Amino acid sequence: MDLSQAILLRNSLRNNHVIMAYNGTVSDDLMVTLADLLKERLVANDDVKRSKLIFAVFMEGVQNLIWHGKEHEENMGMILITEHDKEITIMCGNRIEKDKTQGLKDRLAQIEGADKDTIRQMYRDGMSNASEHDGPGSGLGLLEIARRSTHPISYTFVDVDDHSVDFIMAATI
Amino acid sequence: MNIAATERTPAISLTHNPLKLVMKGESFPEDVSAFYGEVITAINQLATSVKGKLEVEMAFIYINSSSIKAMYRIFEGIDAYRQAGNDVQVVWRAEEDDDIMQELGEDFKDRFQALNFTVEQHG
Repeated sequence: MDLSQAILLRNSLRNNHVIMAYNGTVSDDLMVTLADLLKERLVANDDVKRSKLIFAVFMEGVQNLIWHGKEHEENMGMILITEHDKEITIMCGNRIEKDKTQGLKDRLAQIEGADKDTIRQMYRDGMSNASEHDGPGSGLGLLEIARRSTHPISYTFVDVDDHSVDFIMAATI
Repeated sequence: MNIAATERTPAISLTHNPLKLVMKGESFPEDVSAFYGEVITAINQLATSVKGKLEVEMAFIYINSSSIKAMYRIFEGIDAYRQAGNDVQVVWRAEEDDDIMQELGEDFKDRFQALNFTVEQHG
């Protein structure tokens, strides 16, 4: 990378209030390391309730990258955390196979339109129906993120080519 | 059974005299099935190996969603022990400021309504 490009990138991160940015292989070790860094920063904020919400959303977001990134590109993923106007936004993105997007889209649409009580009921139902979902989180991860966020989750899918789609979701606490 | 806590996994003890299951700490193991497998097996064996009141105490700091799937299996085992005709008392403790663990306790209580299940917050 050209050094002037590096400065532009730094400025972009700064202008967007990015406090943590990662792009590359997302492993279990990385998750634990970043979680520790995030915890240290949150402890400084001294709001225990909010810190726990942020930590829970971060962990589920990154675990989604680890579990669902396996099919594609050796667990490549992106993690961005911004802090602005006393709100923290956690963004997690990865490239997924196009034929796997519909199920995720349906699920997100269901969560997006639901209020907190409905999400909680979906979560409880998900606890009982754990075996129906393939994946270690039994489909609870997205619900956990939606449940702990103070604003509705946002997400987007961007076509890369005939086989791949870039997916990113954001949760604000 | 006596498993010591780590930064990512809870302390778990299961004693027969008195009959008590205690789980405390963090739960985001790298391999959930490997960690909880023997615990689930031990709970499932209770109904055919012992009798009498089972006390369950749970106090978690954080549980990831895949651990919740394993915890659900543990509660199924506990509920099967109740169905075999034994008294069961579950106490779920959340720290004072921890709404997440408080709510999760309520969610498990909702899923296992036949269990004698108390959710408490403590300082």
